[in-house]
Amino acid sequence: MLNRYKVLFARTALIATAVLLLSPLGTLAQATAAPASSSQSTASASKDRWLHVRVISSDAKGETVRVNVPLELAEKLLPAIHQDRIHDGKVKIDNAHMNDVDLHALVDAIRTTKDGEFVTVQSNDCDVRVAKQSNHLIVHVLDKENSRKSEVEVKVPMKVIDALFSAGKDELDIVAALHALSAQGDTELVSVKDHENTVRVWLDSKNVTD
Amino acid sequence: MILLAKAALGLGTTIVLAGAYTMREGVIRIDVDEYHAGGSHVHMWVPAAAVPMAMHFVPAEHMRHVSYQAREAMPILHAIVKELKKYPDSEFVEVDDHDQHIRVRTHDGRLQIDVDAPDQKVHVLCPLSTIEDVTTQLEEHGPTA
Repeated sequence: MLNRYKVLFARTALIATAVLLLSPLGTLAQATAAPASSSQSTASASKDRWLHVRVISSDAKGETVRVNVPLELAEKLLPAIHQDRIHDGKVKIDNAHMNDVDLHALVDAIRTTKDGEFVTVQSNDCDVRVAKQSNHLIVHVLDKENSRKSEVEVKVPMKVIDALFSAGKDELDIVAALHALSAQGDTELVSVKDHENTVRVWLDSKNVTD
Repeated sequence: MILLAKAALGLGTTIVLAGAYTMREGVIRIDVDEYHAGGSHVHMWVPAAAVPMAMHFVPAEHMRHVSYQAREAMPILHAIVKELKKYPDSEFVEVDDHDQHIRVRTHDGRLQIDVDAPDQKVHVLCPLSTIEDVTTQLEEHGPTA
């Protein structure tokens, strides 16, 4: 009887050892089935706001650059950078490069002004339009000088501009601007099209470029 | 028979536990191939958990020296890793040229950097948790610690 138990114990021990040794294979199998869990994390990450930059070159090389940055990451990262003019997420502006223009007063004036066109230039060389529309500052430039036209369109929410100039007189608060940007809906910020390149900067909730 | 079974069970358990502990964070993989005269070819696979463990055996003097040299980059690196952990599967940078391809992304909680160029290939894969452990240890030996 005792001998029978010994054999049973020995068999159990051997089976247990075999199971333990084979268990890494099970882990491997789970690892291959990981896309399900990773797609969940992608879904959770997709709730964040992402700033996308895409540059497509139409020359022979056909270069493409895609940059996707979560705004939250940029907000947390910038205060850690202390280089030259960048400190605590703020950039120092050199007055010498401002040609004595009081940017804060300018921004304040734009903020308090009703929607409308501020600058309209139409010439044979180029068209320029600066306007405030639906709480967005819009700058549109169409260069007609070359045979191949190039077009630049910048559309920035006023809240972002306010936040950008919310720091001291000679500072731009990049972190505050990013924070304000994250509260905005899906929007295209910059679009540049010319005969060589197409540049697009936009904001959405996807963690991948289209 | 029983003695053999006990020994097998003990050995098996030890191997599995040691393997599971060592490989719990995956591997750090570094592949560098430079295709020119005298170019280096580095291929390294290291269990990720072994690196922070091995750092405990580095003399404190050397750790302080490395920490001092990396003092400016350390807060940035720490912030990057801490934030990247929130995005375990994301594409951050992708550059496609005619014959070059660069990609920086996170995949399954690992930072993956791939550079494919005609003259060199670089592939780095490192668990974010390992980078965080390493930066934490370096910060502990930093001048402010």
